[in-house]
Amino acid sequence: MKSKPRKQDKIPVLKNAIFGLKLVWEADKRMLIGMFAAEIANNVLSMYVQNILFLKVLLSIIDGNADFKTYFVSLLLFFGTYLAVNVVSTFATRTKLISSKIVLKNLNNKIFRKATSLDISCYENPEFYDKYKRATTVLSAGYYETLCFCAASIIGGIIALICVVTTVAVVNPMYFLFLLPVTLVFTIELFKSKVVYNLDREMTKNNRIKAYIQRTMLLKDYSKDMRTSNIFAVMLQRFKTAIDANIVILKNYGVKLFLYSMLSSLFSDFIPVIGTYAFAGYQFVYTNTLTISGFSVVLSSINSVRQSTMNIARSFERLTQMALFFQNLHEFFDYEPKITDGSKEAGEFESIEFRNVSFRYPGTDKTIIKNVSFRINKGETIAVVGVNGAGKSTLVKLLLRFYDADEGEILYNGINIKEYNIASLRNVYATVFQDYKNFAVSVSENIMCRECSAEDKKVAERALEQSGVWDKISSLPNGADTVLTREFDVNGIGLSGGENQKVSVARLFARDFQIAILDEPSSALDPVAEYKMYENLIKVTENKTVIYISHRLSSAVLSDRIIVLENGEIIESGSHSELIANNGEYSRMFTLQASSYKGESEGNENV
Amino acid sequence: MFKKKDKEKTAHSMPSNILYFVKLMFSISPMLVIGELFWGVLMILPNNLISVIGVKYIIDTVTERKDSGRIFLAVAVIALVMISSTVISWLFMEFYWNKERERLYYGINKKIYEKAKSLDLESYDNPEFYNNFILTIESSSGNIQNLMVLIRVYVGHIISFLAVSSVILTIDPLCLVIILGVIIAFMPLSKKVGSLAMERRVENAKYHRRSDYFQRIFYLQDYAKEVRMNNISPLLIDRYNDAADDVIKNQKTFFNKIALCNFMQTIGVQGIGFLFILPLYLGYCVLVKESITPGDFVATFNGAHSVAMSFQLLTVWALAQFTEQGKMIDKYREFFNTESKIKSGEKNAPKTEPKEIQIKNLSFTYPGNDKPTLENISLTIKPYEKVALVGYNGAGKTTLTNLLLRLYDATEGEILINGENIKDVTAESHRDRFAAVFQDFQIFSCSLGENVSLDVDPDEERVLESLKHSGFDKEMKNGTKTELLREFDQEGVMLSGGEAQKTAIARAFYKDCPYVILDEPSANLDPVAEYNLNQAMIDAAQNKTVIFISHRLSTTVNADRIYVMENGRIIESGSHSELMELNGTYAYMFNLQAEKYIKQ
Repeated sequence: MKSKPRKQDKIPVLKNAIFGLKLVWEADKRMLIGMFAAEIANNVLSMYVQNILFLKVLLSIIDGNADFKTYFVSLLLFFGTYLAVNVVSTFATRTKLISSKIVLKNLNNKIFRKATSLDISCYENPEFYDKYKRATTVLSAGYYETLCFCAASIIGGIIALICVVTTVAVVNPMYFLFLLPVTLVFTIELFKSKVVYNLDREMTKNNRIKAYIQRTMLLKDYSKDMRTSNIFAVMLQRFKTAIDANIVILKNYGVKLFLYSMLSSLFSDFIPVIGTYAFAGYQFVYTNTLTISGFSVVLSSINSVRQSTMNIARSFERLTQMALFFQNLHEFFDYEPKITDGSKEAGEFESIEFRNVSFRYPGTDKTIIKNVSFRINKGETIAVVGVNGAGKSTLVKLLLRFYDADEGEILYNGINIKEYNIASLRNVYATVFQDYKNFAVSVSENIMCRECSAEDKKVAERALEQSGVWDKISSLPNGADTVLTREFDVNGIGLSGGENQKVSVARLFARDFQIAILDEPSSALDPVAEYKMYENLIKVTENKTVIYISHRLSSAVLSDRIIVLENGEIIESGSHSELIANNGEYSRMFTLQASSYKGESEGNENV
Repeated sequence: MFKKKDKEKTAHSMPSNILYFVKLMFSISPMLVIGELFWGVLMILPNNLISVIGVKYIIDTVTERKDSGRIFLAVAVIALVMISSTVISWLFMEFYWNKERERLYYGINKKIYEKAKSLDLESYDNPEFYNNFILTIESSSGNIQNLMVLIRVYVGHIISFLAVSSVILTIDPLCLVIILGVIIAFMPLSKKVGSLAMERRVENAKYHRRSDYFQRIFYLQDYAKEVRMNNISPLLIDRYNDAADDVIKNQKTFFNKIALCNFMQTIGVQGIGFLFILPLYLGYCVLVKESITPGDFVATFNGAHSVAMSFQLLTVWALAQFTEQGKMIDKYREFFNTESKIKSGEKNAPKTEPKEIQIKNLSFTYPGNDKPTLENISLTIKPYEKVALVGYNGAGKTTLTNLLLRLYDATEGEILINGENIKDVTAESHRDRFAAVFQDFQIFSCSLGENVSLDVDPDEERVLESLKHSGFDKEMKNGTKTELLREFDQEGVMLSGGEAQKTAIARAFYKDCPYVILDEPSANLDPVAEYNLNQAMIDAAQNKTVIFISHRLSTTVNADRIYVMENGRIIESGSHSELMELNGTYAYMFNLQAEKYIKQ
């Protein structure tokens, strides 16, 4: 237990808070105005007007034995003040709540635009991605509201505090002595929050284990393994261990937390309340100066001072917690994409050339692509084959400028691809990725990637026919206007894996592309569907350039040229027959894969 | 619009639900529940009483010039009450409550998890039940916490309400009438605010689901490539803005109403009631009628606030909270009352060497579907046979293995092992006879060894041997003790798709059982690994019956028997050469795949 908590990097709270407030201010001014007006009004109202000012005036009248009419007038006056402040607070609260959603919308738009300009490497770099995820929680978890609230409630609390303290000072400066310790609570609470923070941090891992176990119990993905094996016992054991570990941690912190809590009570309750009573007794017995109004006001103000200092402390603490998220958001907005735009427009495709290209993922030691050179000419069909992890997909990422090569250059029509405008360069390609995704918009919008006109819909229909899923789509009540997934549309459709993939492939058919890149497009399909899709792909890509990535060698046979990758290097290249004749790695792999088909078939088939 | 609420009828009444859960908590930790009640009273009552009785006592002493010694006695009593109640509260919280809460959490979750495990797989296919199920599990810790706070606050305020009210009653009954009268008069408005807020949440949730989705697309890695290659972001941003605008509109509609109601309610109760009528009456009593003392004035005034606060909490707030919790608990009870349809037999299944598996006229329809997934399947698997199931996507291959494992029960027909219906033995012992590697197998966040054994205390030697069979050759820092995944261990090892699959396959080698089911075991493997796996399978599974599903027909060539499935039926069966000779669907599929290899 004696181990010192690791010193963390200090995150400037004020700087980040100001950044956040500015951001919200720019998104929609009404939110901050409403928030501040509401918080100041609420604080002054509940801490001061309602509690203290009211009592003071009324009681002074009673103390001074005023007549009922004066009393009535001041009561009316008070009611008026109360009403006015309440109107302000109500109106401000309404404004702030509505404006908050406008801020959300505008900030999200800002994030979306920035996110689309991020390099792919940002998503694949865990450190950046963690920060990015934290940055987005500013919106998704409503931290922007929390920030504004904290700032406003600190200001409101301070104003209320000044009002209260002034009133008390007027009654009797001696009472100050009993209010002073209450302000110490601020410091104590800050210390305590650090202890709680450390406690939480020590429990983080265990709580994550708890959450993970919960997930395994929850999701269908795990349900079969849970039932057919004894992994449940392993999970329950882990769960128990995590709970026990938490209990030990809580036990260790018990004394510390108790002492802080007692200290807090001592200063916020015991000293002020008991002190005030005792002092009142002293005044009464020895100096004979005690007034009822003075005594009552001081008692009430203890409560107000305690409430506002607690509020300020809590807001301050939350502000500290928020700082990290806003810092991450700041870094996110400041991020300059490393993949920079060129000025040239990519014209009609003639050739692509890799010249001594080497590449390593940022932050890793392993060179994924080693000194690769090859050339693709217009109209060629190229297959890139190799085992998992050989660098096939990375090659594609370099081609599309998701990453830039570390060494060597990639030329498009003889010019380095870095000199082209990225959008125009990527527009040359149509891609189907292994981890393709469809969107929860209508089927035709998924294919055309825009709001669809009648003409667009026809194009989409043709593309769906070609990818072999039109029968299914046309059988739906709304046809290609059906929204994919039932996520938020009850009339939406959840397609099977194979159907989804076909929709994704249709996107390619609908585009007027110059080069098609197909990254394992048939992985979710059964043999017949796979065969049909290839037939269509061959038809559509006739006269076009196709780059085909696969570890199923059968699909490589038809291509003009095969590039065989191993550990990031091109070990062989040539047509299928050349490579077979070569008797190298490709030939070995092919024979292996084919042996089971061939060995048996020769007997039965006379192909 | 208000009809919607009525539709959410719960199976049990709210008090019955609350009582049910309190009993559940009590059965796990009785001291915690009792402690909560005392804690609630200690936290609320002393402060409220001091601000009413203590103040009155002192002011009366002062104004009536009574014996000065009394004032110090009063101070001493106040100090004693305050200090002792606070110390006891903190002691309870920091030394007992914090820890005991974890234990309670464990106890309740263990019950939930055990129940979850015993549920039929079918439950996951029923969206309504599944949603309940998720809600039950996800909300369990929050529920416990909420309910404990609720009970504590509720009991504390009831006691405080009664105590303070009776003090006011002794001062001037009319004051209590005014206080309660104002509160009750504005009750309908408070309720209206509550229901408006509820309606707003329901409406907003609908729009938020849409806007959250588009947010996710831009936030998540999964869509990054697709968004960059297709110029789809303008469309997506448009859609997001549509949803966001709906949220804003909804917010406006509701907050105009809510703000107005809130305003009227506050002004009514707080303003007119407590800051105007009550002090007016009190002032009248002190100044004109002289029926009460200034001490009574302050006591009543302070008391009014605490009574109002308690009343508000006990009625509006607590009612809303209890209703909300009641609904949650109702889902709990529904969950716990769910009976498994798969009834275990009496006997334990013998774990012997492989016996004959007979499937007789088996038909199966997924609940809620019209179309049967399996129709009248009959087949016999002899001991030690290597059987392949092939066919198109959706032909029913995986479903057949699900039935074999009794993850579902057949709608018609039966499955016999060694002549004994699998329904006659316990589901657990039946499943224990099988090792199954599913198509969507999972890697768990525990050690490599545990991932292979899928059990506690893995046998290290056998784990290593199994991994060798499955072709897993990754160097692991801590051997079989290496933790997998980075869920909560920064040092955890992430496996590639192929390595994960090999780990999953090793499970089949590890488990000491007569029957093995493999669903698409080589989907993530490259050709070399696939070839090696086939070899290893043949060697290592010699003394087992193996049933495997495959898309790649090259892997089925060596099977003793191949069943070809189409639309839930078996359309062909036989060895590879028999089926090729038959020249039916299998031969067609095989040739499609083999074509390119064979042409060479």
